[in-house]
Amino acid sequence: MASKKKKSAGQAIGGFFKAIGGFFAEFGKAVAKGDFFTKLSLIWMGAGYARRKQYIKAIIMTVLEAAVIWFTVAFSTRYVPKFGTLGTVKAEMIFDPVTMKNIMNDYDHSFKILLYSLICFVVWFTFFIIWIKNVTNAYKLQLKAQNGEHINTFIEDVKTYKDEKFHITLLTLPVLGIVIFTVIPILLLILVAFTNYDQNHMPPTELFTWVGFDNFARLFGGGGLSSTFGYTFVRVLGWTLVWAFFSTLTTYIGGILLSLLINNRRTKLPKLWRTLFVVTIAVPQFVSLLLVRNFFANGGIVNTFCEAIGLTGWLNDIGLISTSYIPFLSAPGWAHVMIIIINIWIGVPYQMLIATGVLMNLPADQIESARIDGAKPRQIFAKITMPYMLFITGPTLVTDFVKNINNFNVIYLLTEGVYTTTNQALANSQAKEVDLLVTWLFRLTQDYYNYKMASVIGIMVFIICSVFTLVAFNRMIKGDREETFQ
Amino acid sequence: MKSKGLKTFFHNLLLAVLAFIWIIPIAWLLFTSFSSYDGINTSSFFPKEWSIKHYVQLFQPDTVAQFPRWFLNTFVIACFSCVISTMFTLMVAYATSVMRFKMRKPLMNVAVILNLFPGMLSMIAVYFVLKMFNLTNNHLGLILVYSASSGLGYLIAKGFFDTVPRALCEAAKIDGCSESKIFFKMIIPLSRPIIVYTVISSFLAPWMDFVYAKIILNAGISSQYTVSIGLYRMLDKSLINSYFTLFCAGGILISIPISILFMLMQKFYVEGVTGGAVKG
Repeated sequence: MASKKKKSAGQAIGGFFKAIGGFFAEFGKAVAKGDFFTKLSLIWMGAGYARRKQYIKAIIMTVLEAAVIWFTVAFSTRYVPKFGTLGTVKAEMIFDPVTMKNIMNDYDHSFKILLYSLICFVVWFTFFIIWIKNVTNAYKLQLKAQNGEHINTFIEDVKTYKDEKFHITLLTLPVLGIVIFTVIPILLLILVAFTNYDQNHMPPTELFTWVGFDNFARLFGGGGLSSTFGYTFVRVLGWTLVWAFFSTLTTYIGGILLSLLINNRRTKLPKLWRTLFVVTIAVPQFVSLLLVRNFFANGGIVNTFCEAIGLTGWLNDIGLISTSYIPFLSAPGWAHVMIIIINIWIGVPYQMLIATGVLMNLPADQIESARIDGAKPRQIFAKITMPYMLFITGPTLVTDFVKNINNFNVIYLLTEGVYTTTNQALANSQAKEVDLLVTWLFRLTQDYYNYKMASVIGIMVFIICSVFTLVAFNRMIKGDREETFQ
Repeated sequence: MKSKGLKTFFHNLLLAVLAFIWIIPIAWLLFTSFSSYDGINTSSFFPKEWSIKHYVQLFQPDTVAQFPRWFLNTFVIACFSCVISTMFTLMVAYATSVMRFKMRKPLMNVAVILNLFPGMLSMIAVYFVLKMFNLTNNHLGLILVYSASSGLGYLIAKGFFDTVPRALCEAAKIDGCSESKIFFKMIIPLSRPIIVYTVISSFLAPWMDFVYAKIILNAGISSQYTVSIGLYRMLDKSLINSYFTLFCAGGILISIPISILFMLMQKFYVEGVTGGAVKG
């Protein structure tokens, strides 16, 4: 298994480099063997098309080239040269002798430099690919012309985008959206992880700069006595993993049990029961979780009830609590357990739905033949139903685990503003015992503007998630299986 | 025979008990919304005095609670992002499922990697990008946030398209159909369950979401809010004692349409997802 995985991963990487190699080889051949106009396309991108009378394409390419050059001259030169330092001129008021007033100087905005430089890099990278592609295309046209083949008119070219190049038409906009709203932000924050962008270095009044791996060192316990990030990171990571493990396992098992219970032939009105359970997840989480949080508040209704039946007093007597209420969501230990229990409430109906779907698609012929062969219901369950269920839903365990590592809603809505930590070390790093890495990250940015550490934590979350996914990678990505049932 | 009847009875009793536990908080939400008292009732499960005045109050906006306005905001945002996300998702799903081209596998691998980054992380940077273009505290910005990256969520729709027999597409191609014609005239009509699922789920996202709206609409202008942050604000420590019941009433009103859509969606979800998975 391990060797097989290695091989396929190696193949994937090898294939990737092969593709890149092929891409450049084609380009080299085009440059070496191209005629004058193909070579001219290196400088004037429309040349190859103009020679083959594809004038509209030639104009489009020329305009594109001009636009990128204009973009580089008018825009990039203002930011990219400062990328190495992220700016040196601090914002301050200076006296302007012309207007006799104090005005802002021409200062550097570190964040703008970072962001706009990054945008320039992405634009240049894209343009570079187009540029190479353009030369190879010009060469292809040259070959076609030499062999006397038909050269497409512009209308015919456009038509290919409805047919064999339809995928380009389909993918352009979505990919553009993903690049702008996911790729660039992720790259940006990876860069921020290597700067000292925090509350003391907030543009526009202050500058920030590159600090190398300092932030990572700080997260792993470096930075002297004043730094508690190392301790906090271990604590928060520990709880994140414990939470992800228990929340995934409890909802998975609970969901399967519940679906078996509901889909049992003894059940009267299965549809009614299913609906009742689904109602709890159909209510938006920000309503249901905020409600539950008040339900279990220190002075809330559950506490009133527990006091009335004497539970609070009894817990006091055996020393589990020292307050006059049960601190369901406000003390460590209690809060941890409650969060997992409340998550069962939210998560089990989801799993129940999925498990029900699988149960309904059980291979009926197998069960039938097993029954004819005299298998008891219990045997059928243990030998057919369960293995089948595990086979189908097993991979979702991994995705659910990753999802739970990033389960912001449950933790934030249940504990924000309710839970206050008494652990000074955690408080110094703006964390709490019940925080997941993502809620910690969120608080660091939204309330404390500590972007550098938040970015480092984000990268750590990514690494953890990828390790877990990579372990299950070959099973989950059905890339090789997808065509077997088409 | 008798023991069998008893077994059935206990079986259903167990279900009833479980369902009861599951439904208690929702029932509390419903009952509290009919209370005449403004703050939290902590002493009894049922309200002392019943009244519908908070439902009436929802439609008489004040400076804090502007429920009709929030509802309209969320509805507009949901409609736009639903159209864009559905298009993007189906486009990517079709291209990766039915068509074969050189960059297909690499693109899918990149999508897997991108999906592993916590959404929160990119959202913080998206906030800055939007701020540079003056799109924070702006509904257009929020629509973009909900829909621009929706192409990454193509896997479920792709799983469905994968089950459409390839022979069908091949036959159409031999008959001279272009890819775009196959997409619009064949695949789309065949894929009703997954389209309904995608439409409903992308329409629901802005109603269910809370974090992204909180990050983007951070100026505290109540008339701009979506329902989720509006209701969240009502439970602020300084407001909770005068707005808790109103929160419950708003929560019930918003839950009714969402629940109906959700029920519809889960039917198609089970049809579209497990149907495809099981055949594999």
